[in-house]
Amino acid sequence: MTLVEVKGVSKRFGGLTAVSDVDLAVNVGEVHCLIGPNGAGKSTLFKLIVGLYPPTQGSILFDTVDITAERPYARVQRGMSIKMQAPSVFKELPVRQNIQIALQERLSGEERLAEEDRLLTLLNLAADSDKLAGALSHGQQQWLEIGMALALKPQLLLLDEPTAGMSPEETFRTGELIKSFNAEGMTVLVVEHDMAFVRQVAQRVTVLHLGKIFARGDLESILQDEKVAEIYLGKTHAH
Amino acid sequence: MFKLLEGPQTLGRGKKFWLCFVAVLAGALSYPLFADSYGVGNFAYFLIWIFMALGLCLMWGYGGMLSFGQTLFFGIAGYGYGVLAINMGGGTATIAALALSVVLAMIAAGILGYFMIWGGINGIFFGIVTLSATLVLAFFLGQTAGPEWHIGPARLNGFNGMKGMDPLTVGDFYVEGSALYYVMVALIVIVYLALRMLVNSGIGNVIVATRENPQRAEMLGYDVRKYQLLTFVIGSGLAGLSGALYTSWGQFITPSSIGLPAAAMPIVWVAFSGRSDLTATLVGSFLLLFGFQTITVYSQQAALVLMGALLLATVMLAPQGFVLGIGKLAAGWWGGRGPSDAGASLTETARLQSKES
Amino acid sequence: MSAEVFSLFYQFADVFAFLILSAAGLAIVFGMMGVINMAHGEFIMCGAYVTVGLVNLGVPLAIAQILAAVTAGLIGVLVEFLVVRRFYKRPLDSLLATWGLSLIVTQSMLLIVGSAVRGIGTPEGSFAIGDYTFSTYRLVLFGCAVAVLAGLYIIFMKTRFGVIARATMQNAAMAKALGARTGRIYAISFGIGTGLAGLCGALYAPTMTLIPTMGATFVVESFVTVVIGGANVLLGTAPAAVFLAMIRMALNASYGQIIGQIGMLVAVIVIIRVLPEGLSSVLVRRGR
Repeated sequence: MTLVEVKGVSKRFGGLTAVSDVDLAVNVGEVHCLIGPNGAGKSTLFKLIVGLYPPTQGSILFDTVDITAERPYARVQRGMSIKMQAPSVFKELPVRQNIQIALQERLSGEERLAEEDRLLTLLNLAADSDKLAGALSHGQQQWLEIGMALALKPQLLLLDEPTAGMSPEETFRTGELIKSFNAEGMTVLVVEHDMAFVRQVAQRVTVLHLGKIFARGDLESILQDEKVAEIYLGKTHAH
Repeated sequence: MFKLLEGPQTLGRGKKFWLCFVAVLAGALSYPLFADSYGVGNFAYFLIWIFMALGLCLMWGYGGMLSFGQTLFFGIAGYGYGVLAINMGGGTATIAALALSVVLAMIAAGILGYFMIWGGINGIFFGIVTLSATLVLAFFLGQTAGPEWHIGPARLNGFNGMKGMDPLTVGDFYVEGSALYYVMVALIVIVYLALRMLVNSGIGNVIVATRENPQRAEMLGYDVRKYQLLTFVIGSGLAGLSGALYTSWGQFITPSSIGLPAAAMPIVWVAFSGRSDLTATLVGSFLLLFGFQTITVYSQQAALVLMGALLLATVMLAPQGFVLGIGKLAAGWWGGRGPSDAGASLTETARLQSKES
Repeated sequence: MSAEVFSLFYQFADVFAFLILSAAGLAIVFGMMGVINMAHGEFIMCGAYVTVGLVNLGVPLAIAQILAAVTAGLIGVLVEFLVVRRFYKRPLDSLLATWGLSLIVTQSMLLIVGSAVRGIGTPEGSFAIGDYTFSTYRLVLFGCAVAVLAGLYIIFMKTRFGVIARATMQNAAMAKALGARTGRIYAISFGIGTGLAGLCGALYAPTMTLIPTMGATFVVESFVTVVIGGANVLLGTAPAAVFLAMIRMALNASYGQIIGQIGMLVAVIVIIRVLPEGLSSVLVRRGR
């Protein structure tokens, strides 16, 4: 069953076509990676799915409902949850309050406190829960934001380069975390260019190149695809 | 529910703080026992403006929306009270006039706020659009001197101001003097505590989250525009409450309480006091109003020059506000060395420092 | 018939000149530095007082006006150096600081000068077309507004200073890295902005009563023009002024000044809802 379906979506900025006639389907229960070299249009496509940009053409469906015209908050209420590329937390609020703001619509009272504690421990942030989020290291802020995204208990978790700026260990732990949530039934769409990370988590992969779908398939077939390897090495780069 | 009186968004917690609160309240309640009626009337006059200051503190300090339109809604409700009280014939109907005039201010805020917030206006532009609207209302009322400008029997009367409305009345009893003072104190306690509960509630969480990072807040499923509009309407409604009480207090209102320099006053009070905390705003605004009134007796211009100088000094020397800064120092020096308090004050200090940088 | 057409143009020109002259200085400071100068009205007031003072001393009007604009510009450079410069990274604080300044200046003027100052009267000159009589000075004001726009075009598009200034506007850090002295450019731009405010006051001084609070008469017009014109003086302010002048003219003619002003404000509030990025965004997009 398809959870997110992107149908014939294009996005133009002035004369530049960042995403051109892209179809993409993310199935329920999978970890789907969107990869491609720099400038392939990954982040633009991510922002289109999230609702930060309106597409120039095409439509986006979530759980068979057309959400093309919906604002981000409405998409989140439907069961999406988002982590943007640059860490984006409430810097002048304490770490715990950051999590609380994400949780408060779903849980209250003792239950919420327990879930706050559970998430903080899971994210290795329990000792820092009274610190201001802005005082955390870059990697910790990334984790906190992943925690906020998880706190919504979404059907679909959308992650834009979640491991940017993380050490290899942190990256690995992030991957394990994503896999554990996926094992509990969460569908995940990750934009990533760290191939080691993609190998660790991905079940299916879509390759974007120059704004178009270049290849798609399961992880193994993509890894063995020579053309994909070539665009990563720059051989068929048009310009 | 009373748990919400304390929380991460408000300074002051624990027994010590609430003992101080009760002591100040007791002092305020016993004041009319040993002061003359002129003094009580004067005090009631300072208290009128506190609502406007608290409303701006909510919008600006908590919501991150710097509205220069507090006197716009002050004026709408102030004139609204006059028009309604005159048209409804005084007596107990003045209570309804007060409530309706505040509702009127909130509706006006809802309309203006809708256009600005849904239009994506924020930061500097939020200030100058609200100020433009304020000045236009002041200019408009300024040229309504002619007899053709009336609503029912209520003459707007241009710069000479509208008069002839009854003060707040219950039955045959005019709420004036000490009675008005007690009403004012009660309203301030209610509004202050209610705002503390609001900002420490889930809604308050979203309001400060929106100030910090509106996009992140939206990505957590909140329609931030609705929360901003709510904040704007509540803050403006409080300005309206000040306006209606002002007209009732003096049975008189003129356009000069809307236009410049009046529009700058709430900004000065809240900036000087410390916009990020309700208690600091309450205390600081009262002190400034008291000082302002004392100097105004000799020269209003001198008092206003001082207000301008204070605003300039605040942004140059203590952008987080003088009263808040001094309060923090005092609290740190006075005690509160308990483990939880120390952690909390560390958080607060860090918050201030990151604000300053 | 031609008299009616000219009359319409005359009314348009009158409002247009008022909008451009009162907004140009504010728009430059906003466009260059992202700062809204809340003391803008006080620089206008300064220009007006200096003009009247000099004329009363026997200086010819035109020279007094130029000197007044220069004075306001120099005071602006000083204010930039002492106050505004500290707040480029905190635009909201710059708003508050300049507002504090504005309060200090108006109220001190009221204390020192008092409210009444002898005016100098509008230069006589009028001419008639058909049954209508027009004031020559109002046309001079329109000419000045057009000259200001032309002057800004030349300064910002044709001079070395303009190139550096526009580069600074685009990316201050980069311009600095390439050797532009951004501090000096900001000071000069602020001075040009306040000088234009002074010019506005100087030009309108003969037509109005001089009071220390006269700045407030201009600020609504300058604010709303900048709000819908955005940061670009040439591509934003000028078309915004044309648009607002048409609304204003239509309403002024049938309902009077104050309704004209209210109508203009309502139009602006509706526009920010419909075109959140301002009028200039539409124009710039079209231009591409």
